[in-house]
Amino acid sequence: MEEFLSKNSIYIVMIIVLIVWTGIFSYMISLDKRIKKVEKEMSGDKNEK
Amino acid sequence: MIWKIFLFLLLAFVSVAGISFPIVENPTKWYEFPLIPGLEENAKIIFFHVPTAWLTVIAFLMSTLYSFKYLRKKNLDDDLKSYASAQLGMIFCILATITGSVWAKFAWGSFWNWDPRETSIFALLLIYGAWFALRSSIESEEKRATLSAVYSMIAFVTVPFFIFIMPRIMTGLHPGSADDSNAGPVVNFKMNGNMLLIFFLSLIGFTILYFWMWRIGYKSILLKDKLDKKLIRG
Repeated sequence: MEEFLSKNSIYIVMIIVLIVWTGIFSYMISLDKRIKKVEKEMSGDKNEK
Repeated sequence: MIWKIFLFLLLAFVSVAGISFPIVENPTKWYEFPLIPGLEENAKIIFFHVPTAWLTVIAFLMSTLYSFKYLRKKNLDDDLKSYASAQLGMIFCILATITGSVWAKFAWGSFWNWDPRETSIFALLLIYGAWFALRSSIESEEKRATLSAVYSMIAFVTVPFFIFIMPRIMTGLHPGSADDSNAGPVVNFKMNGNMLLIFFLSLIGFTILYFWMWRIGYKSILLKDKLDKKLIRG
């Protein structure tokens, strides 16, 4: 694996791009969670009224 | 909406160009990159690794600017903006560390060498990690906002030093350090016009992406904050 990667270093570039996208994706997921919480609280609010 | 499509196209172009454009010894065509001795194909990570480090600086800078604004105007919205930006800064700081570390494994032989560049970004992670710990430990809103604004302004003083100065004046393995035979600050290390162009397009693309993420992040924090207050009062 290591030998393959050091010979074909373009795959290292690819891994790095994937890591960057994973980071951005995880931010989107945390954002999604936060917004879902807000949605839930809002719908709970309506039911109380 | 138009700028979002523009951003999509820009980042798509940067990804395709950054990964697939060939590296040759004497570039003649517009899509060819020059060969940088010692880096070879690895040189291409500059289009993805450097923007993350760049965004770390931008995000912490915006965070500090809004901390400053909060201290002047005492508007809690500014504190939330500063918080949302610092969150992004932290994410990009971690990304820069991980991508750098993966690259280091193949360029220098191990994931972590305590190179000046690695040491300085580690210190930066600790400093801003402490900021989040500080924020979560104070319950009173105004007090938290004021204290974290002051801390963030002090913390940002270290950022230019850790990211731009220290790794350049010390000898190390990272491109751009004092004894780097490829010479000089990272940006002009034997890049040709096309490489520079795509590098700057990448910086611009990621910067727009950051501002978009920041706005959405801020809005979501603001909504949650308002709702929490409403629930407590109601």
